[in-house]
Amino acid sequence: MRSARLSPYLFIAPFFAVFAAFGVYPLLYALQLSLTRWRGAGEAHWVGLGNYLYLLTSPDFWASLGNSAVMWLLIVPVQVVAGLGAAVLLANAKLRLRGLFRVAFIAPFVTPLVAMAQVWIVVFDQDYGLVNHVLGLFGLPAVGWLTSTVWAKPTLALLFLWKTTGFAIIILLAGLQAVPGGVYEAASIDGASRWRQFWSLTVPLVRRSTAFLVVVQTLAVFQMFAEPFVVTDGGPYGSTTTAGLYLYDHITASDLGTGAANSFLLVLLVFGLSLGAVRLLRPKDGAS
Amino acid sequence: MSAPTLGRRGFLKGVLGAAAGASLAACAPGGGTSAAPSKLAAPSASASAKGTITIWNRSGDLFKVFDAAIAKFRAAYPGVTVNHQAVDIDAKLANTLISGTDVPDGSFWDDAKIGSQAEHLYDLTDLIAPHRDKVAPYKLSVNTVGGKIFGVPWDLDPGLLWYREDILQDTGVDPAAIATYDDLLSAARTVQEKNPRTKPIHLDKNPFLGQLWLEMMANQQGTSLTDAQGKLRLDSPEYRRVLGWVREVVKGGLATHAPYLEPADINTLDGGQQVFVPWAIWWSFAPQQLLKATKGKWRAMPLPAWTPGGARSGAMGGSSFVIPAKAKNPELAWLLYEFLCFTEPGCTAVYGPNSVYPGGLSTSVPAWTPALAADKPLFKPLEALGGQDLWKVAVEAAATIPAAAPIPWWWAQSVDYLGDNTQRLIEGKMTPDDVIADSAKKIQRNLIDRS
Repeated sequence: MRSARLSPYLFIAPFFAVFAAFGVYPLLYALQLSLTRWRGAGEAHWVGLGNYLYLLTSPDFWASLGNSAVMWLLIVPVQVVAGLGAAVLLANAKLRLRGLFRVAFIAPFVTPLVAMAQVWIVVFDQDYGLVNHVLGLFGLPAVGWLTSTVWAKPTLALLFLWKTTGFAIIILLAGLQAVPGGVYEAASIDGASRWRQFWSLTVPLVRRSTAFLVVVQTLAVFQMFAEPFVVTDGGPYGSTTTAGLYLYDHITASDLGTGAANSFLLVLLVFGLSLGAVRLLRPKDGAS
Repeated sequence: MSAPTLGRRGFLKGVLGAAAGASLAACAPGGGTSAAPSKLAAPSASASAKGTITIWNRSGDLFKVFDAAIAKFRAAYPGVTVNHQAVDIDAKLANTLISGTDVPDGSFWDDAKIGSQAEHLYDLTDLIAPHRDKVAPYKLSVNTVGGKIFGVPWDLDPGLLWYREDILQDTGVDPAAIATYDDLLSAARTVQEKNPRTKPIHLDKNPFLGQLWLEMMANQQGTSLTDAQGKLRLDSPEYRRVLGWVREVVKGGLATHAPYLEPADINTLDGGQQVFVPWAIWWSFAPQQLLKATKGKWRAMPLPAWTPGGARSGAMGGSSFVIPAKAKNPELAWLLYEFLCFTEPGCTAVYGPNSVYPGGLSTSVPAWTPALAADKPLFKPLEALGGQDLWKVAVEAAATIPAAAPIPWWWAQSVDYLGDNTQRLIEGKMTPDDVIADSAKKIQRNLIDRS
């Protein structure tokens, strides 16, 4: 009898064991680490909330958040609009070469980021890049796409957009295809124009998908690391040091306590932003 | 009597509670690590030494060079098997030392990185003691942390003044007359007057290398970013002198501001815009491998002095070998490194002609001074330098390099402040005083105060 009562728990115990080892333990370890000053060797010094206070009063920390916020503004609204537009087009069964377009949009998403980042470095090189070469053909001056504080962020944002807009299209396309065709048919019978259908039906009905996309991309943008790491190494003058890269800098400097504190602050921030996005985009009438 | 039932919530609480308890008990950072570094005792340097060691090195040509040198070591110590591995050391070594898992018996490492992980390394002070009089003072100082030596000094990278011999001849500038940095400014002005399209002096656009360059100039004057106690000494006449000189170069329109050996740099080097490159000996790679139009036209001489009669070189970069405190066979690793760094056959095996570099390895010189005789070159004159005997120039310059201070663990992080601000100076956005004040404030707050 006793073994029969225990057996369900034994069946789920492996999950909890793995979760405890690879989920709970690292989390608690990081939390404890964030309250210490420790460089990976010797005794850890308890500093309480010192690492958090240091970060919250550090101009570098706020600058990294500012960089990520600008990246978010350059990426997420553009991606939602462009992704929805592309999804509507791709959802149209009458579109010619629809399969080809779908593959073309999704191809960057499955291409290794580091390879694409190298291409970006070459294409946007100030002296020998293709983009400046084309500008030169029109008599325009060369731009420091990756070396000026003004242009480095938009250039990286473009890389991120190119890489992940395929993912946005998949999410929004799935949302669109879940909308029953009869809704549009009824609207047509009622005399609604295509534009009216888009604004009054499509946009509200894919709100849940849009909210999901915004949350996921907010997480991705605030954790953005590989793009600035490979392309600009956070420069010029820290203008592309995103929150993710700033955190990494602490870890590579073996300033593990500050790195851990930074990660918890980032979690709180992203959680707050995601919550805000979900509330803002939550359907009011239970639409899908 | 019924058995007590285990509720679902109770079970979950129990599992999570146990996990949390175990985690908190086990996750005290640094709990298992001793703060005192282990001291390595001298092994008997006997040919009968036996065992296997795992040695990490950088990949690429240097790995092949060391592979051949290790074969010579094995001839002297046939009982020692060396598992020589090419590893991305910058990415792996620090993490491996911290985790203590799969730690090698010895590894190549940048001098600048050693200070940050000294607690994970063997204290080699006693082993190096018999050799310390024969090691370049600079290399001893950068491998020292808290008065103890943690790296086996391998190479020395003297700064040299690389110049276009043909252009100086055409413009009537005698390189031998460039004895001070003021002389270099005058020479650059003369070159530019006769050839206005030149921007003769290279200033680097990479913040990290720019700061490394600045440190070379500081070392040449006998100072460095911190003193032996770790106190910042950026606000000093020596740094102000270098930064002031940089401003003069920029204001005079004499600078080519390009990133080290990237296309824009190579183009202006080969195109005749750059005439003087004050840089480490490893710039010799450029005329040998990268430059086409100007190959054979470059020459090297010692750096100018900052003050008349001052030192004619400083060190720029460099590497050593470390033995992790958790190495399984540290004594055997020491035997290998002692052979490579402190013996004539070892130095010859690394720097002398070999299958990878038929003329020898000419991108640095040994830190072991008995190997630095001007009349006993380890590498041959370079065709890419018009047949110049770079060895002679390099060892004469190396002999003047002053001692420094230990490189602080945060050196690489300080590039975000000093390296970036040096770039702002070159771009005319800051004055030398601004660079010093702003960098010193940020380094103190963000790095030193948090040590």
